[in-house]
Amino acid sequence: MSWRPRWWRRDEQERQLDAELRDHLERQTRDYVSAGMSRTEADRRARMDLGGLEQVKESSRETLPFRWIDDLAQDLRYAARSLARSPGFASVAVLTLALGVGANTAIFSVVNAVLLRPLTLAGADRVVIVWETFRSFTQGNASVGHFHDWTEQGAVFEATAATVRTSFNLEGDGEPERLNGSLATPGFFEVAHIAPALGRYFTQRDVEAGGRVVVLGHGLWQRRFGGDAAIVGLDVRLGGASYTVVGIAPAGYDLGAGSPELWAPLIFAPDQRSDYGSHSFLVMAKLRPGVSLDAARADMERVTRGIAERHPEAMESRGVHVQPFREFLIEDVRSQLLALLAAGGFVLLIACANLSSLLLARGSARHQEIAIRLALGSGRLRIVRQLLTESMVLAGAGGVPAIAFAWLGVGLLRSAPMPLPRLQEAGLQADVLLFALTATLAAGALFGLAPAVRTARADTPGRVRQDGRQAGFSGARDRLRGALVVGEIAVTFVLLVGAGLSVRSLLLLQEVPLGFDPAGVLVARVTLPAERYPDGAGITNAVGRILDGIRAAPSVERVSASSNVPLLGREVSAGTIAEGTDPGPDESPDVQIRLVSEDYFETSRVPLRSGRSLRASDMAAGVPRVTVVNERLAAILWPGEDAVGQRLSAWSARAEPEWRDVVGVVGDVRTFGRAAPVVPELFLPYTQAPDGAWNVFQSSVVLVVRTAGEPGSVTAALRDAVRSVDPALPIYDLQSMGQLLSSTLAPRRFGLLLLAWLASAGLTLAAVGIYGVTTYIVTLRTPEIGLRMTLGATPGAVLVMVLRHGAGLALLGIGAGIVAAVLVTPLVASQLFGVSPTDPVSYMWGAAGLLGVALLASALPAIRACRTDPVRSLSGS
Amino acid sequence: MAPPRSDLPQGTLDLLILQIVALGPVHGYGIAQRLRQISRDIVQVRQGSLYPALHRLENRGYLAASWKPSDTGRDAKFYRLTPRGRAQLKEEAASWARLAEAVRLVLRAAPGDAS
Repeated sequence: MSWRPRWWRRDEQERQLDAELRDHLERQTRDYVSAGMSRTEADRRARMDLGGLEQVKESSRETLPFRWIDDLAQDLRYAARSLARSPGFASVAVLTLALGVGANTAIFSVVNAVLLRPLTLAGADRVVIVWETFRSFTQGNASVGHFHDWTEQGAVFEATAATVRTSFNLEGDGEPERLNGSLATPGFFEVAHIAPALGRYFTQRDVEAGGRVVVLGHGLWQRRFGGDAAIVGLDVRLGGASYTVVGIAPAGYDLGAGSPELWAPLIFAPDQRSDYGSHSFLVMAKLRPGVSLDAARADMERVTRGIAERHPEAMESRGVHVQPFREFLIEDVRSQLLALLAAGGFVLLIACANLSSLLLARGSARHQEIAIRLALGSGRLRIVRQLLTESMVLAGAGGVPAIAFAWLGVGLLRSAPMPLPRLQEAGLQADVLLFALTATLAAGALFGLAPAVRTARADTPGRVRQDGRQAGFSGARDRLRGALVVGEIAVTFVLLVGAGLSVRSLLLLQEVPLGFDPAGVLVARVTLPAERYPDGAGITNAVGRILDGIRAAPSVERVSASSNVPLLGREVSAGTIAEGTDPGPDESPDVQIRLVSEDYFETSRVPLRSGRSLRASDMAAGVPRVTVVNERLAAILWPGEDAVGQRLSAWSARAEPEWRDVVGVVGDVRTFGRAAPVVPELFLPYTQAPDGAWNVFQSSVVLVVRTAGEPGSVTAALRDAVRSVDPALPIYDLQSMGQLLSSTLAPRRFGLLLLAWLASAGLTLAAVGIYGVTTYIVTLRTPEIGLRMTLGATPGAVLVMVLRHGAGLALLGIGAGIVAAVLVTPLVASQLFGVSPTDPVSYMWGAAGLLGVALLASALPAIRACRTDPVRSLSGS
Repeated sequence: MAPPRSDLPQGTLDLLILQIVALGPVHGYGIAQRLRQISRDIVQVRQGSLYPALHRLENRGYLAASWKPSDTGRDAKFYRLTPRGRAQLKEEAASWARLAEAVRLVLRAAPGDAS
């Protein structure tokens, strides 16, 4: 008696089964012989009675328990052998699948990190942002007064916090460094809570003790302090003052490029408590457990209505909006990521269609083998199962290199110049691998099922032929293959149109005039800490000396300073009114304010439209207040009139007007990049900054240097000039205007590159599909073609006939693709610029490209067809 | 002329096999022969389905089998009833008898008897 389970002893069972049936046959034969039959006849009759030794054996085997394990093992062995016999087929299939699944897994890992995986914050789904709304703008920052009222009168929050982004000069050992940081009320670490990596977060008590404390981000701690735990409790120098490090925030607070690297307490002055007018703070809050978003919105509206009753002048056209934090984090990238995921899915579908088609072809080649197995007693279901096992083995074999492709892809995507939050969390984690596994198995079932069923249904036992090739011909199979190719062409068309729309958007964008000349311009930002430069005079004095130093350097053509330059961000805007008008609260335009030195327009080459530019004499103390406006603002304030000579008031425009003369009008500039509309802008001499303006601009200016040579060649001169004025001033955002421009287009370029890559993968696969099906048809029709040629058809006519077949498939696919694209492309409309989602040019290019590829792919089999030797093809069949 | 033969109702084959094996240990060919003799050639089991049925019953534990020397001079596989098989036979035979009685009653009722 064996200890092994019964299903394990397979050989023994086989032997017994065989012996038992042979015993039966022997007895039957003996009985027939004794009844008078000849030995041969008796033997034949006995076998016929039993009904086929192998079939009886097969039926008996099926009664065994755990039979499926045996079957599976057998199928796996068989599949491996059968695939090993056709290494060409196997490697094409494995590679196709690996690319499809790999690309999808890589894209999924990003989507998973950015969109799907919950934030690492505790109770992240309860974290919201409370915005002030202004007219149709729903994401405005809040004032200190709003923050306090919302906190004190709101009934739905567990904790609230106000934060404002700022930057710090970290001084000390080595080069001073400019860091992105955040000032936050202590509640921030309750609202967005992750336990500190080290030490503690600051509290209200720290604020009361003067607030000279700081929490360092994990990245900064590693990079600048080597991850040394001893830093907690020590002091660091920030902007000329000492701050005590109380703790280290964990890596979970790092939300990608530009996110804060350190946090210091945000402390309000007592009079700020009643300020409802300056909207500077991002207010975050954590809902009490069980409070719905709707309830929170209703509560905030109640509180905000109260504010509006008490301060009607500050609340004109303003309201409140509560938005989940997660939604805010991902709103810009959501549609782009989902579009990429869809594109990846399309490529996988195309790959599956190709594999299905390959398997169908293989199915007809294996027709004889299948027929023999059917005749030997295999059930049809059994054969379907075996063929499916084979496609699963194929899929599994593709899964391994797919992971390798995915790994490469994730690396590529993580280095993407896309402002994706939590992009660095993308990787091959368990859930991503599970996705890969599911995609692989689903693909295996998808591309394997139809061919398996079709192949197993192919022929009946007893019709085993000498010539398996002919037996493989079946109209239904051809139709299925044709449909697969038409389907993949349609999907490819959608991908091509998507890529075409993106390319057209990018081209149109690049043609948008910037309004200034970026060539030869170098920009760099310096911030003058309030501790050493407490007022505007101190700042402009130091900046003036830096400008003098740079101007003296050789090869510098012009130099100037501005609080902001196009594309670099940190825009500040204010309501502005023209003298003699009294616009309603909703009508005074919101205007971008810049504080500039002399020569700013000349350095940037912004054209002067009328009047004069801002001169050095405007920068002196005690001269009349002047301003320069852009064409857009001139058109808004004085439509149809000359703006020069008019007067306007910006900043605290309505409360206490501060009139200044408009001395010039300059051309419009694409401040927010080519994709964004032109906005009204206002330029003030930087020595005439309104009260509090330098505070809002965070005591920071951008140095703009124009050189005849390479922008990089004046870097040293710029650094030297800054250092000679104040060695503790760090320089950051140092780059050429050209770099800045290309970096603003980089996300779009990257998305386009990915899409183009996916589209060309799809196109290649579709070409392979068309080639495969055309070759197959030509092979099947060789006798017919031979006959036609014997009857006088020219090779040219044969060529046209085959090409027409390929073109026919392509046209059917393109037709279906147009319908699909019209349905799908509007979903990506937000990512397009200047083209409609149904842009006929992109559609035409897509159609022409596909048709061309289809003709090319059918050309090879077509040429082969017209070289058919009529005599041989006829006799050969 | 061969006598008319009936198809075996579904599930009856198992009952017949159990009944035959209950008479004493027997090999597959013997079961086939007895089936034919007992049913006087009315019910002929296709031999192709006999062996899968035997193995199914064996796998379920109703039959036990052992290889013993036989009249051919070689070992043959002899089946015998297990206690579980005996219980199963009793139950199936009873159930068959109930069914047969019910069918007989229905068939005996003449059209006129119903009212």
